[in-house]
Amino acid sequence: MDLKEILNELLMEDKTFLRIPVGSGTLEIYKSVVLTWVVMLVLFILMLILTRDFKVHNISKRQAAVESFVLWIRGVTGGMLGEEAIGYADYIATVLIFIAFSNMVGLFGVVPATMDLNVTIALSIMSIILVEAAGFKKKGFRNWIKGFAQPMAVIAPMNVLELLIRPLSLCMRLFGNILGATVIMELIKAVAPVIVPAMFSLYFDIFDGAIQAYVFVFLTSLYIKEAVE
Amino acid sequence: MLNVDWIQIGLTIFNLLVLYLLAKKFLFGRVDAILMQRREEVDSATKAADAAQQEALETKKEYEEKIAHVDEEKEQILGDIKKQGYAEYERIVNDARKKGDQIIVEAKHNAEVENERAKEVYAAQLTDMVIDAASKIAATKHSAADDKELYDKFINEAGAKNE
Repeated sequence: MDLKEILNELLMEDKTFLRIPVGSGTLEIYKSVVLTWVVMLVLFILMLILTRDFKVHNISKRQAAVESFVLWIRGVTGGMLGEEAIGYADYIATVLIFIAFSNMVGLFGVVPATMDLNVTIALSIMSIILVEAAGFKKKGFRNWIKGFAQPMAVIAPMNVLELLIRPLSLCMRLFGNILGATVIMELIKAVAPVIVPAMFSLYFDIFDGAIQAYVFVFLTSLYIKEAVE
Repeated sequence: MLNVDWIQIGLTIFNLLVLYLLAKKFLFGRVDAILMQRREEVDSATKAADAAQQEALETKKEYEEKIAHVDEEKEQILGDIKKQGYAEYERIVNDARKKGDQIIVEAKHNAEVENERAKEVYAAQLTDMVIDAASKIAATKHSAADDKELYDKFINEAGAKNE
């Protein structure tokens, strides 16, 4: 099995998972979207189980763990966002958890949802909308428009281009990293089918997955912080 | 995987928003509610503790004032008691004196009455004796010597009785 075959298998396969007849045509739903639903469902069930009957006193270990996790992840995202944009910390934390989980489903032998360009595009569109909305909300329309001509009017075209470049780099970085990791894992599996993939999976699925999730939200937070300054 | 489909992108964005709302409600919301409740409890507990301390300080002050006035009060009470004691003493002594006087008066009276009675008894006896003597004299023949003897006897008897 050579690289070309693997890439063909990973990239060119039919991604359609569901075909729902709507009117005269059909609504095709990709595997990645279905996988996103699965991830959401798992996360939702986890949240429901973990946050069940919370108490003010005599808290269980589970509650203590959830509370410290929430405070920790808010601290992480809040620290990246800075004082002024602290209100977006919850969304950024949600995205962090979602991307990390999505990246790690490779552990179960599933192709990660983040390896579909459509998902990373959606994530980066959300990010750029949030960035610009944060700036707009903070500065008002006039100053937001003026912000494009700073620090000099000359670089205004660059700033406008950034509206496209930023989400593009975000989505391509995430997509490329996960694709690369998956391809390498497939190659390793082809060469040495037992034991070795498990070791590499630790890095490529868990570590890389977490790192890429962190990088994505870190850059988004940085843009938001910059936008509200 | 490289083709871009706007429907999938839209669905993913929708998924993200739904996930965010779920996390907001069930994860962050619940934790926040607990944290808020805890903070309120701590606040109210601190307030209660402050109030209790304030109250304790006020009570302490009050008692200190009371203790400071205790000596004065003690003097006052002792003075009152002494006054009462003197009054009682006076009353008792007066009563005793009155009673003594009364007893003396009564005793005098009794003695007088007794004396009177004794006199009456004595007078009655004397009368009897005189009658007795007279009847004896009248009954017997007598000479001058006899008379003299009789008188002497009478006087002697009277004297003996009167002693």
